[in-house]
Amino acid sequence: MDFTATYSGFVIGAYALSATMLTGLVIFILARDRVLRTEMERKDQP
Amino acid sequence: MHYLANPARFVSLANRALPYVWTITVALFAIGLFGALVTAPADYQQGETVRIMYVHVPAAWMALLVYTVMALASATAIIFRHPLADAAAKVAAPIGLVFCFLALVTGSLWGRPVWNTWWVWDARLTSMFVLFLLYIGYMTVWQAIEEPHRAAMVARVVALVGFVNVPIVKFSVNWWNSLHQDASVFRFDGPAIAPSMLWPLLVMGLAYAFLFLALQLVAMRSEIAARKLRQIRIAEIGER
Repeated sequence: MDFTATYSGFVIGAYALSATMLTGLVIFILARDRVLRTEMERKDQP
Repeated sequence: MHYLANPARFVSLANRALPYVWTITVALFAIGLFGALVTAPADYQQGETVRIMYVHVPAAWMALLVYTVMALASATAIIFRHPLADAAAKVAAPIGLVFCFLALVTGSLWGRPVWNTWWVWDARLTSMFVLFLLYIGYMTVWQAIEEPHRAAMVARVVALVGFVNVPIVKFSVNWWNSLHQDASVFRFDGPAIAPSMLWPLLVMGLAYAFLFLALQLVAMRSEIAARKLRQIRIAEIGER
């Protein structure tokens, strides 16, 4: 990819936004899963 | 399908499958991004801006696919009373919403240099925006109705009625005059796109699909745990 080309900022913006949103979604879902599973394990303990 | 109706069996299967699904997802993204940013050529008309296609188009495909999954899960909940079907539809919605948002915004970023406008209220863009609102509406139902069985019943109706919009999005460019280009990949007469651009697009599409699968499995596992915790809390309150 030619980063000096006209409108390359739009391309970088689209990839940066996609990476940020998808990474955020992955972190949110994994964090929620971890919290809930930890709570379940605590409840399962006698 | 009935084999997976048992939540414990589903969680066990998800735990075994997830390491493989995550590995495939990372590998597909690595190959797809290499193809999209390094090997694929710039377009003779659009120049480098054509590379937005490799994140915009898979996001749009997934926005449609995830809503279809939600509608199928809702139909399964109504017809077969599958205990995990509502959970599958519920957890898919936020993932689909993110894909839909990305399709709209990256499309806008692509439209500005190519069409000289950020947005037009034409059939494809408007129907995609309606899909975005449907995702928000579906998620609002789950948040607004406290009793889970009632929320599930209303959410099923929203998912199934809203599914009417999915073929409208897909065929809007054929049915109406649109600034948006016609379908280039899924056509009856084969793809109208150069192989050097097609393979990175398909690999990125697969990467997005596997990412959805991984997130869906994790989110369903979480939802099963959340339901169990809710039952435990209700039982604890009853014992007091």
